[in-house]
Amino acid sequence: MSDSATTQRSAAGAIVTEDDVIRVEDLRLNFYTALGVVRALNGVTFNIPRGKVLGVVGESGCGKSQTGLAIMQLTPAAGRYEAGQVLFRESSEQPAVNLLQYERNSAEMREIRGNNISMIFQEPMTSLNPCYTVGAQIEEAILLHQTKDKAEAQQRAVEILRKVGMPNPERIAVSYPHQLSGGMRQRAMIAMVLSCNPTLLIADEPTTALDVTTEAQILDLMRELQREIGTSIMFITHNLGVVAQMCDEVAVMYLGRIVERATVEDIFYDPKHPYTIMLLRSIPRLGVNRAMRLESIQGSVPDPYSQVTGCPFHERCPSAMPGICDTIMPEEIIVAGSQTHTVRCHLYT
Amino acid sequence: MLNFVLRRVVNMMVLLVVVSFVGFWIIQLPPGSILDVQMQRLRAQGGNLPESQIEALRQRYGVDDPFLVQYWKWISRSLQGDFGTSFQTDQSVAERIFNRLGISIGLSLTALLFTWLVSIPIGVYSATHRYTWPDYVITLAQFFGLSIPGFLLALVLLIVASQLWDQPIGGLFSTQFADAPWSIAKVVDFIQHIWIAVIVLAVGATAGLTRVMRANLLDVLNMQYIQTARAKGLTEAVVIWKHAVRNAIHPLVMSLGTLLPALVVGEALIAIILSMPTIGPLYLDALRSQDMYLAGTILVMLSALLLIGNLLADLLLAWVDPRVRLD
Repeated sequence: MSDSATTQRSAAGAIVTEDDVIRVEDLRLNFYTALGVVRALNGVTFNIPRGKVLGVVGESGCGKSQTGLAIMQLTPAAGRYEAGQVLFRESSEQPAVNLLQYERNSAEMREIRGNNISMIFQEPMTSLNPCYTVGAQIEEAILLHQTKDKAEAQQRAVEILRKVGMPNPERIAVSYPHQLSGGMRQRAMIAMVLSCNPTLLIADEPTTALDVTTEAQILDLMRELQREIGTSIMFITHNLGVVAQMCDEVAVMYLGRIVERATVEDIFYDPKHPYTIMLLRSIPRLGVNRAMRLESIQGSVPDPYSQVTGCPFHERCPSAMPGICDTIMPEEIIVAGSQTHTVRCHLYT
Repeated sequence: MLNFVLRRVVNMMVLLVVVSFVGFWIIQLPPGSILDVQMQRLRAQGGNLPESQIEALRQRYGVDDPFLVQYWKWISRSLQGDFGTSFQTDQSVAERIFNRLGISIGLSLTALLFTWLVSIPIGVYSATHRYTWPDYVITLAQFFGLSIPGFLLALVLLIVASQLWDQPIGGLFSTQFADAPWSIAKVVDFIQHIWIAVIVLAVGATAGLTRVMRANLLDVLNMQYIQTARAKGLTEAVVIWKHAVRNAIHPLVMSLGTLLPALVVGEALIAIILSMPTIGPLYLDALRSQDMYLAGTILVMLSALLLIGNLLADLLLAWVDPRVRLD
């Protein structure tokens, strides 16, 4: 794999490559609820180079799932996109298209969903409809985007089930979801999303609900299929171990912003943002003195209805500089000596 | 599945025997008997009754027989299709019931159909347009529908229909059509007579089921597989009607089992107000006059309807949801 060829900076100041599958720029998403406005995404900017796996990590509620949903415009009805662009480029030959220009349920958006961009969800137990057979649910996507021929769709569904390593795919195709185990269901989900050879796959914590053995199998499978089909993946997770295993690049999110973005090596060996450093310290490791307590990040994510001035992490940050961090919002800057490593922190300006 | 149905049918038979026994016993529990009722009536008409006549009636009705003998007389003949004779009118029970049963079941099924055809689309609309003004209007209408007693609604509709719209009311047909052969005019006349009954019968269940449909659909719409369906690129209509409604409809299917007999009996009061010749008023009358064979037969028949309704509901549910299928 060649390293993401040449990096440059976009108008918004973000790192981009020549051939990004998706480029999200300054995406802002608010939820208008009875209790007030929740600012879910406050200017999210990132790119996914073609054929790469980008890991998006962060605590619960940091907006990582909402970022994934926003790309497909599957945000819950109470959400409104306030600003920003989602630039999608189906292939290197085609120009980028801003997906947010389309209406949520427009024909254009529906043509992209499931066909060019697919999504896997966290809960394999509930992400398949209990009333229809696994095969029928896979065929549904194929019939919608690929062919109108029912027999062919049926055949393709069995093929793709075989491809994701299902034993006896003919039988699985006529089984109902409740007859399969969690790992099998997630395999079936992967089969469904890959059935139309998507350009981008958004995987929202696809292994969180599975046991470790099954998790390893599913991750292997995804890695393998990604190499084979060349799909780019946005891998949303809170598990840094999984990130190390799966991803080429990592974006760390905190409170609706990307606070650090680097290659997977840089994130693990040279983390810059205090939040990233603390996230890494909270992973248990082998060979470390057992009596030593795992570090946890003090405090919790601020109330989503409130607005924090300055750096959103300053209240929990051990290196916060009074007078600066609590008043001025840090800009995204490139770490000195690197081409691809960016961070949003006053310590590095 | 066939095995399951066969087992259920055998169970139903056993249950019906138990129900008939207990039912017959309960019907006899109140003091007095058909004899007292008849004697009272005859006395009111023509003074004293000679002892010999009372004795003759006693013999005929078998009121002094032990309970088990009475039960056996009734049930053994019932199994051969002879449900006995009504004490009140000397007509055969079968004749008295089956005249009305068709009307009752027809009315109930029409009301059921009405309930489903109205409550499913409105429930779906209400759920998909939650917290908009049409949803509030529907919710308000539901509360009215649930809280207005059927008999009151029947009376109000009767007055409105007869006074304002000049519609024929009461009974099944206008006098000129009562004995006429079936024709389009007669059908129109029939519909004009029964629409009030259908609405009154259906309104409570419709309001309730709309509410259930709305609540269930809202739950289902939060499920992950709905998100999956949307992420596939399906239109919202397919997501709702193919993926969501099928998962939200369970309680409606299950309610079918209890709705059938409830509608057949539930119309008693309304049928009396609208003077409809249905089972309800007949049942009430049979109980009041301790017309045991008649009351017992109606009771067993209603139980059979309940059991059949439940079996149908179970089969329908198995068709809707593969998780409850027994293979």
